[in-house]
Amino acid sequence: MAVYKRTYRGYSGPLTSPTWRFTVLQRYAFKAVFKSRLLLIGYVACFFAPLALICALYLNQNATLLAMVGQKTGFMKIDAALFLNFLSVQGVLAGLVTAFVGPSLVAPDLTNGALSVYLARPFSRSEYILGKGMVLGTMIGSITLLPGLLAFAVQSSLVGWTWFVDNLYLGVGITLSCLVLIAVLMLMGLAMSAFVRWKIVAGALILASFAAGKGFAAVINEVMRTKIGYFLDVQHLLSTVSGALLHHPVTEGTSPWAAALALVVFCGFLLMLINRKLRVCEVAG
Amino acid sequence: MKPPVIELDNLHVKIGKREILRGLNLELRGLTVGLLGPNGAGKSTLINTLLGFWKPTQGTARVMGYDVRTDARKIRANIGYMPENDSFIANMPAISFVRMAAELSGLPPDAALERAHEALFYVGLGEARYRVLGAYSLGMKQMAKLAQAIVHGPKLVILDEPTNGLDPQARVRMIKLIQEMRALGNMHLVICSHLLRDIEETCEEAVILKAGQVVHYSNLEEERSSNRRFVELETEGDDGTFADAIELLGCACAVTSPGKIKTVLPEGIELRDIYRLAADRDVQLRRLNFRRDSLEDIFLKAMEK
Repeated sequence: MAVYKRTYRGYSGPLTSPTWRFTVLQRYAFKAVFKSRLLLIGYVACFFAPLALICALYLNQNATLLAMVGQKTGFMKIDAALFLNFLSVQGVLAGLVTAFVGPSLVAPDLTNGALSVYLARPFSRSEYILGKGMVLGTMIGSITLLPGLLAFAVQSSLVGWTWFVDNLYLGVGITLSCLVLIAVLMLMGLAMSAFVRWKIVAGALILASFAAGKGFAAVINEVMRTKIGYFLDVQHLLSTVSGALLHHPVTEGTSPWAAALALVVFCGFLLMLINRKLRVCEVAG
Repeated sequence: MKPPVIELDNLHVKIGKREILRGLNLELRGLTVGLLGPNGAGKSTLINTLLGFWKPTQGTARVMGYDVRTDARKIRANIGYMPENDSFIANMPAISFVRMAAELSGLPPDAALERAHEALFYVGLGEARYRVLGAYSLGMKQMAKLAQAIVHGPKLVILDEPTNGLDPQARVRMIKLIQEMRALGNMHLVICSHLLRDIEETCEEAVILKAGQVVHYSNLEEERSSNRRFVELETEGDDGTFADAIELLGCACAVTSPGKIKTVLPEGIELRDIYRLAADRDVQLRRLNFRRDSLEDIFLKAMEK
C-alpha cells in the first residue's frame, strides 16, 4: 500500500542495540557539519601536513631518489622532536576544527529546545554528550592520532623491525598525547557550545581560550615573576604533557605532572559546565 | 478492570527548595486523559516527572507499571512526547528530523525512514516533508512535533499544549487528529492544555491540578451521560399548566420565568414524551436543549476549592 494511504499503526519490529544508539546522533551531526563546504575544504587541508610528513619519511629512506638530488638517506632525523612538532601543528589545526565544528553541535539544540525531544526517548544525557562529542573526537582523531600513527607505521615499515621496537615509546606517546588532546578539545567544544548559545561567539571563545590563555600566562609570569601563569595556557599544558609522553620534555614552564593535573582539573571544570547546561528546559507550570 | 496507565501515589516533587507537586494520588486508566490547571499548577512538572526528568522526592509514580525512579528508560521507550515549546532542529528537513527521532527510539534506519514518511503523511505534512523545519508555519511545526511523538508507535503519547498558538483551522485539524488517534484505540493519550474546550472535545477523563495538588478528577464520559438528561425548555402558548403536566410524568421541574422551564428527565422518560405532551396541549416548543455542567463549570468550581 502506498505510504500516503497508510494510517497510523504501532511498531513491533526489531530494535537496535541501546549500546550503540549514540552513533545515531553522531551520524546526523556529521551530515550537518559537512554541509558547509568551507569546513570541508578546511578539513581536507588538515591532511596536507601529514601527507607531506609521510612523503618526507618515504623520501628519507629512498636512496635512488635522494641520489638524484645529491642527498644521502637519513637526511632528516626521525625522533621524538619531529613527532612532537608534527603533533603541535596538527594540534593547532585540531583547535581550529573544534572552534568551527564544536559550536554547531550543541548550541542549536539548546537554542531550539531540541533536548527535550532527544531525552524523552530511551536515550540518556551521557549518550547525548557522547554522540555529539564523538563527532569532534572522530574529526580531531582523524587529523592527529590517525596520521601520527600512520607516519610511525610508515617509518617502521621503511626502516625495519629494530627501529619499531626501539621507538615503540613514540607510538605509545603519539597515541596517549592525541587521546589527551581529543579529550580536552572535545570537552572544550561541547562546553563552550553549551555555555554560549551563539555559534560565532562560542567559536571565538574557543579560539580566545587558547590565545588569551597564552597572553594571560605570559603577563602573569612576567608581572609576578612566577610560573603559575602557565596553568592558564592550555596549549602549553598540552605540549608539556605530550613532550613527557614522547620522552622529549619541554624545558620551560611547569612539570609534566603538574601540567597533567591542571588538565584533569580543567576537564573536570568543563564536564561540570556541560552537566549544568545540558538539561531539559524546565517550566514550572 | 484495565490496569492503570498512570499511577501516582503520594507523589511529591521538589525543584530546588520549592515543592511543586504535593502528594498527588491518582490512577488513570482512560484512553485520553486531560491535564488541566492554571499556570504554576504543576502540569509540566508532572509530565517531566513521568518522563523521568525529575525524580520524586517522596511517593511513587508509575507509568504502565514501570517506576519512574528505576525504569525511566523503559518508560521512555513506550512514550511519545510532544513538547509545548519549539523543539526541533531548524535547518533539518522534517523527514530527517522524524526519522532521527525514530532511530533514537531504537528503530533500525530503514524502518525509521518508512515510518517517518507514514507519520508525516498521517499528520498531513506529506507534501511538505522535505522542507526544513525552520521554514514551517506554526501549525506545521506543531504537526511535525506530533509526528516525531508518534513515529515509533508509542503506547502512551503525552501532548503538551498541542493547540498552542494555532489558528482556528489548524486547531480543528489538530483536534480531529487527536480524536482519530483516540478512535484507533491502540495508544493512550495525555493532553495537557489550558484550553478547556480542547480537553472537552478530546478526553474521557480530566484531572485538574492547582498548586501542585489534584483538586478535581472527572470522568467526562460519565458526567456527560449523567447530565445529559437535564433539559431546558422555552415554550409559547403555555397557560401555565405545562410544567404541572411534565411533573405528572414524574420529572422534577422548575419554571424560571414565564415560558421557561427546567426539568430533569428520570429513567424511562424520553424526550419524545415531552414532545407528545406539548402536542397534546398545543404548546409550541421554541427551544429545547440539554444542559450539562460544562468543563468550564467544573474547572471554575475546582479553582474555588
